[in-house]
Amino acid sequence: MTRTTLQVDHIARVEGHGNIHVVVNDGVVETVEVNVVEPARLFESMVRGRDHSEVSYIASRICGICSASHVVTDLKAIERVFGIEPSPRTRALRELLVYGSYLQNHATHLFVLAAPDYLGQPSVFPLAQTDPQLFEQALALKALGNELCTKVGGRSIHPITAVVGGFTHEVSAGEYRALAGKLEAMVPFALATVDVFNSFPVPDMATEGDLLAMVEEAYYPVECSDIACFLDAGISFDASDLADNIEEYEVAHSAALFARVKATKSPYMTAALARVNASWPYLSSNAKVAAAKAGLRPPERNPFKNNVAQAVELVDALERCAGICRRLAENEVPGRSTPPAYTVRAGYAVGFTEAPRGALFHALELDGQGKVVKATIMTPTAQNLANLEADVRQLAQKLAAQGVTEAELRLWVEKLVRAYDPCLSCSVH
Amino acid sequence: MNENRNTSSDLAGTAAVPLAAPASQASKAHATAPVPVPPQAQAPSAPPEPALARVVVVGLASCFGCQLQITNIESHLIEVLGQFDLRYWQLTSDGHMPEDFDVAVIEGAVTTEESLAAVLRLRERAKAVITVGACANTAGIPGLASTRFDERLGEVYQHLPQACGTPIAPRSVPSVITVDYAVPCCPIDPFEFLEALGRALYGSNRTLGTRTMCGDCKRNESACFYNQGSLCLGLVTRAGCNARCVNLGRPCNGCRGVSPHANLESAREAVARYGLSVKDFDLRLELFNQTNPVLSGRE
Repeated sequence: MTRTTLQVDHIARVEGHGNIHVVVNDGVVETVEVNVVEPARLFESMVRGRDHSEVSYIASRICGICSASHVVTDLKAIERVFGIEPSPRTRALRELLVYGSYLQNHATHLFVLAAPDYLGQPSVFPLAQTDPQLFEQALALKALGNELCTKVGGRSIHPITAVVGGFTHEVSAGEYRALAGKLEAMVPFALATVDVFNSFPVPDMATEGDLLAMVEEAYYPVECSDIACFLDAGISFDASDLADNIEEYEVAHSAALFARVKATKSPYMTAALARVNASWPYLSSNAKVAAAKAGLRPPERNPFKNNVAQAVELVDALERCAGICRRLAENEVPGRSTPPAYTVRAGYAVGFTEAPRGALFHALELDGQGKVVKATIMTPTAQNLANLEADVRQLAQKLAAQGVTEAELRLWVEKLVRAYDPCLSCSVH
Repeated sequence: MNENRNTSSDLAGTAAVPLAAPASQASKAHATAPVPVPPQAQAPSAPPEPALARVVVVGLASCFGCQLQITNIESHLIEVLGQFDLRYWQLTSDGHMPEDFDVAVIEGAVTTEESLAAVLRLRERAKAVITVGACANTAGIPGLASTRFDERLGEVYQHLPQACGTPIAPRSVPSVITVDYAVPCCPIDPFEFLEALGRALYGSNRTLGTRTMCGDCKRNESACFYNQGSLCLGLVTRAGCNARCVNLGRPCNGCRGVSPHANLESAREAVARYGLSVKDFDLRLELFNQTNPVLSGRE
């Protein structure tokens, strides 16, 4: 192979705008650049000076898909500054809200964005004709995610009801029960989804970067913990010590900041795959069986397996949320969700959740009036970009050595980018 | 959801509704933005199959949420898509913007020289422009950054990456081109979008309501936030969402934009009468209406 320059402008079927530039010269990969070309909206600046009560409302507008995660993350940061301990009921509702966005996100990513690659289709729409049942069930799964977000948050995106300390509205016990039934009824389709994505052939590769995920004692956490863990480096840290553990840096070819492990300078991946590696034993029983059947067990370092990990999380989320809904309906979750009175005070804290695409951090410094002095937002996609570039390089090198055509190289590079499920609009905020 | 398609005839089996002269009768805006009539509209021999309106969907600075809301019409997404020829949906398309189309749907605020040029080009080519969401209609949340804009760039970036384009202070779409149909709110109500699309495709002279939201709360028999000592922007915000947030216990933040009938002076007097801060009221109004000249003229 002589010199091949692969320029994918406007990567298809990802959220937001990005390009990839790969140069292969005589079988050697010279350049790999992932360009995020989103306009800067400057959220970190626009929240400065604003009251804390408005911050989650503003931050939710970073991203339509991840809005629930941005809200919950911001609320966690504010509550840590003020020393508010939300009730278990409030936390349960937040877990539902975050998982609602998992269902929306994973269903959309797997079926609309990723699946067409493996079915040899340009988009999901031909599926409506070739496999109408699968198409309808995929849409129904996404609709169920919307319904969960709507019941808990008041609408499918940009939740209304989630505020500092609690929720301004809750649905009736009967509605929780009805939701639980719908969630359970969707489990067989989610199990089938694991099989479908496991059946797609992917190249054998292992990311060399670290893996970052939220961890919690004997639980599969997405909201309830403040502890993040670099699985390879074996470093666990409280989210408020973010700046001591993660380093952000600018690169000219991307509007999003890149990130690496501060101690080891290694890039890292944060995603469903990292979560499954971190908390595999605490997946719901059906999810664990499905994962085992699909051969997805830690350590699993193939970034293409993020698709299977998301499918496994669908099973887990459906079963977990059904259980939470039933406990809420029967009043088995202690405390109330009514927002408590609280006193503002100055301070700094970091809110942390596992968004559908991975670890999301909001660092907030508030003054004595509860107004924002400084905000730093670190999205999963921005954290993943350095590792994505390293993985694209590894893949391109491997394929170049096999002498594949430019078209094949392009297809696999795009598939790898999509397996990361990047949210480019989030990454530039 | 997410794919550009070159034709809609290959789409599902749903009946495509024929389009008669898309939107032309409804576009009063064309007085200010003359648009060339596409050649096929003048075709001499009547073709048996009426052409579907060609639609493009474009996202500027936004969270993509309004485009997602369009996909959230899951139950009849395919039927909706069957009504027009979707030529370009930027959310995830790998195609290029076609030269000719009838309707441009624009989400997001104008925040770069590049997006400003793109919007002007869309207006030149489209017979009808639909703006969706607060970002497009009022500059929305991105508009919050419109004051001290250059300073703010430095607060986030030490060196502005080339990939950011050439930033300009955020502005709404109707502040730079004439818009035919607006779908307000953050995010849009998908069914309100369908209504606007219907007007663009089939023609209608119905306009958005202009009353303020307080009347909706009275009809809903909701308790007023002012009686509880909380600010609410329903006093001056355009009605039409049936007070969705208030119904769920959260005050209005004004995402539908300031109603043309709003009496800001009187609203400020009311805020003061309830013992609340007029300054805070004005600050809250910035959330979605920062670039509205009504606000900047408040001195």
